[in-house]
Amino acid sequence: MLFLISSCLAVLAERFQLTPQLLHVSVNSSLQRVYLQWTIPNLTYHQELKMVFQIEISQIKKSNVILVANHSSAVRGDRAVHWSWDSELPLECVTHFVRVRGALDDARAPQPGSWSKWSPWEEAHVSLGPNELLVYPKEKLVEEGSNVTFCWISGVNLNNISCYLSGIAIHGERLDAHVSTFKWNNVLFHRDTGTNFFCRHTNPTTYDGVTVFVSKVLEEPKDFSCETRDFRTLSCTWKPGVDTALAWSKQPSQRYALFEWVSGENKHCELKNSCNWQITQDSQELYNFTLTAENYLRKRSVNIAFNVSHRVHPKAPHDVNFDDVSATRARMTWRVHSRGKSHTFLCQVELHCEGQMIQEHNVSVHESGEQLFGDLQPDTRYKAQVRCADANHFWKWSEWTPRNFHTLEAAPSEAPDAWRTVTSENGRRKVALFWKSPSKSRVNGKFPFYNIVVKNMENSSEVQQHALQAPVNSTWLSLGQSSYLIQITFTNSQGTSPALVMGISRDSGNEEVEAERVDGTKEGFMISWKPQTRDVVGYVVDWCANSQGQHCNLQWKNLGPNATSTNISSDAFKKGVRYNFRVYEISAHRIAHLIQKNVGYIQELAPLKSPDVILSNPTSHSFVLNWTTYATESQPGFIEGYHVYVKSKDAQCPQEWEEVVLKGDTHFSAPDTLRREVLGYIFSIGGSTFTTKPSLPYMLLQIILSMTMCVLFLLGLCYWKSQWVKEKCYPDIPDPYKSSIRSLIKSKKPPLTIMSVKDCIPDALEIINKSEGTKTQGGGTGKLHAENAPTKLAYLRLLPTEGSSGPGPCICFENFTYNQPASDCGSCGHISVPPRDPPYHLELLTSPNNLLNVLEKDYTNSLGEIPAEQSSLNYVSQLASLVCGDKDSLATDPPMPQHCSEYKMQMNISLSSMILLGQGKH
Amino acid sequence: MRGCSRSYAQLLSQLQNQANMEENPNLLLEPYIHLQDLDTDILRNSCMVYPSVFPSEDALRALSKPGFLHAVHATLGRLWNSLTALQKQLLQDQDLPRLTITKHNIQGMRNNIHCLAWWLGSPLETSEPTQGGSRVSLTPTPALDVFWSKMKSCRLLWGYHHFIGLVGRVFREWEDNPNRSRRHSPLRLVLPKGTRKIRPSRRGQRPVRRAQRPR
Repeated sequence: MLFLISSCLAVLAERFQLTPQLLHVSVNSSLQRVYLQWTIPNLTYHQELKMVFQIEISQIKKSNVILVANHSSAVRGDRAVHWSWDSELPLECVTHFVRVRGALDDARAPQPGSWSKWSPWEEAHVSLGPNELLVYPKEKLVEEGSNVTFCWISGVNLNNISCYLSGIAIHGERLDAHVSTFKWNNVLFHRDTGTNFFCRHTNPTTYDGVTVFVSKVLEEPKDFSCETRDFRTLSCTWKPGVDTALAWSKQPSQRYALFEWVSGENKHCELKNSCNWQITQDSQELYNFTLTAENYLRKRSVNIAFNVSHRVHPKAPHDVNFDDVSATRARMTWRVHSRGKSHTFLCQVELHCEGQMIQEHNVSVHESGEQLFGDLQPDTRYKAQVRCADANHFWKWSEWTPRNFHTLEAAPSEAPDAWRTVTSENGRRKVALFWKSPSKSRVNGKFPFYNIVVKNMENSSEVQQHALQAPVNSTWLSLGQSSYLIQITFTNSQGTSPALVMGISRDSGNEEVEAERVDGTKEGFMISWKPQTRDVVGYVVDWCANSQGQHCNLQWKNLGPNATSTNISSDAFKKGVRYNFRVYEISAHRIAHLIQKNVGYIQELAPLKSPDVILSNPTSHSFVLNWTTYATESQPGFIEGYHVYVKSKDAQCPQEWEEVVLKGDTHFSAPDTLRREVLGYIFSIGGSTFTTKPSLPYMLLQIILSMTMCVLFLLGLCYWKSQWVKEKCYPDIPDPYKSSIRSLIKSKKPPLTIMSVKDCIPDALEIINKSEGTKTQGGGTGKLHAENAPTKLAYLRLLPTEGSSGPGPCICFENFTYNQPASDCGSCGHISVPPRDPPYHLELLTSPNNLLNVLEKDYTNSLGEIPAEQSSLNYVSQLASLVCGDKDSLATDPPMPQHCSEYKMQMNISLSSMILLGQGKH
Repeated sequence: MRGCSRSYAQLLSQLQNQANMEENPNLLLEPYIHLQDLDTDILRNSCMVYPSVFPSEDALRALSKPGFLHAVHATLGRLWNSLTALQKQLLQDQDLPRLTITKHNIQGMRNNIHCLAWWLGSPLETSEPTQGGSRVSLTPTPALDVFWSKMKSCRLLWGYHHFIGLVGRVFREWEDNPNRSRRHSPLRLVLPKGTRKIRPSRRGQRPVRRAQRPR
């Protein structure tokens, strides 16, 4: 039989060329997919053969084969073979050619069949007008990350085409003269309305475009789970991921569907993140779900399998109630949504007070549960809440079911915490009582009243009662000098608290204890004390939280009988604030005795305020400073002392302040070392400066002494001066050698012109006086020494010839020490000598500096305002020459202006004269 | 008429205000251009073509007041349908939130025009038909692919703003003579720079595709 079949097949293959016949070629443009259908015409309907086909696809021209694909299929005469191919390039872009051939591929055949003939080429192409421009693919839908190839076909008249992708110009690849392509790789999602690609030709103007829709990648659903709350419905939930919907109805949002494998049922989910599944009543416990997300481009699935009894999420407990609520206890009951008494729930119960959980309990429950809360505070609001879960297969807790309740009030359980201060005023004592606002544990109820009973221990009939309602927390009492017992209680609607008893002794308020310093730290103050008596039931340390003053805000700390120290700490303690602590010993009779005082700072700070200083009793050598009003206790640190700075007022140069350090004193008297005139003083803690004033007698004395000294000095100076002038200017015998000009002339040694006496023509010679021993000066070189000078002056006068009108040759023995103005100097007779050599004068005036200095100094007043061209004719009135030079003739010969005696020569001329004289000595 | 204001001035004022408001292309056209990836000079210019579906200015000004009101009323009615179709192209209304408001305003303008026609003594039922474009459907042709549908919708919106601006100017001319029911005096319409022409034109429409399917 097998042989027969094989023979038949061989015959078939040989006799009939199994050439396929293409029946239909279709295109899905958006998918760019080519569908082929062909048959084998020579087969009869009942014949079925396994064949392999080869498909060849060419682009543009037949020889350009771009694909050769094989496809195996069973063929029958009445059945067409289907095949499809997805093209990367839009099919409309170029002409495509396709053909098919086949061969037997049947195992029954004795040998593999040879290929049949190719079917005829089928051609698909685009034809367009000469001015048309087309862009492909139209309506492309792709997934993000894939590639898209655009092509554009232009008519023969269109040569310059510009193309744009989302408005950006692109450059394509030319396939032939009228077809170009552009490949957009790894496309990204920009907008759900699609991305536009268009091409344009300007002349003639035409354009075409397409819109490519890029879908986001469909994500796999996450956190897929199912549970039941009532054993009737399974609620499945998941996180859907991104929505892949696109506009223009190109792609709706992804759809979700549930498929249950046990039952084989399928359900389309309306919502994108949840779906309900009805639990069948046929006791199906196992469920195997597949959740599928699907859009036009992709499917994503996730799977879960579970036992429904393990996926029970109970509903929140209900009917939660409280009964038997007292001041300290309460009982809570609740019910659960149960499948029956056989099912067990684990319930969690929490008790909260003032926002904090204070109790937690776990309770096993079948249908209903209860929980008793103890150790509750009276008159307190609580919140209790309960939730439950499946006890056998825990899946999820139910939601909490909360309820509030309030415990009842109770009588106050503890005595008030109170304290007192005692001050004596005008023979009575003022007792201020303070008590702390009681905690709820003390009051146990609302609106407490404070009851204060004061008993006079020495007079039992004297009893005071006071009732105060919260929130008052202080009061004061006025008591006499007896001993008293004070009882403080507080009361609410349920009863009265134990009493706090305080005794006031006769001494209370009058204790004198020296305060000791205590060093504070950031952690507070460590207060230590020594027990004073054995009969002690406790200690109390009190202090003002706000330092001293009216707003004391008294604080206290109760300590046991064995305590000898305690650390007082408070967040209210501040740097630079002085705190006073008092330690009281409480006796068995509840009487407090002050045993210690301490004062200290958490941290000392520098003083902020300088003392207000009063200066008193200032004298010329003493003063007193007082700053008794300086409040050291209000300073931000202990005042260790004061610095007084003093310096003398009459110091000429900047003088250092002299420092005096005072320890504790609040006054300052100038000590002996400082008993002098002082300019002022400065405190180290301030900038006050005081200046003391010298006393009037002292000032007068000083002025008189100064004036006296000045007068004496001037007198002495005048005397010396007069002697000096007398000697220099009009000695008994004028001695030119005594003239200081000689030294100048000597030192400079200028070229001199010798003037001989014989050059002068004497008209008359008069000898006035001549004493013995006087040397004749005519051309001699001898010196006239002062010690040899005669006691009577002798003058030699050279008288001019009568009738002589012009200035004749004159000789002037001028004492050059006459630098003073003529009014106060003795003048001398002189002889005018006309200038002979002006250049020489110039040289003389400019070269000797010393001389110039002298001249400038002496004649500034007379020469300063005179122009240079007139300076050689500057005259100084010299009527005194005769007076000066001839004292003896004053009485007999009144001064008469005479030639050569009326004027003192202008200085440069006289210089010349003097130089001539000097030269003559040599 | 029931529900209509009895004040001609008030009706006219409301219409002017509505037209002034809707004339602004930033309300619809610009958001649409950005939304549909048409924000290029080439496509913008292609968008600014006055669609033939709107009556031209000359046609409108040639009408009597009742005829004008009838033409505007009818055009706005078709426009409302077109905007409804355009709205369906969106993935969600929030993509073009002003579109819903515009549709409400179009309904309001139509109501006011209806009342104004009644006030003028020429109910819309008896008005003469609008010349030109009245029989052309504004509904986007389903056969168009998305790119050309975008372009068509863009032109529709540009034409809408332009048409409303024209209507507003005509209404402002009515302030002086409320009882006048003669034809309007012609007014030149000033178009934005770059606009090619006003008259109905078929230029720029999608070329006829003559590609042959593979056989």
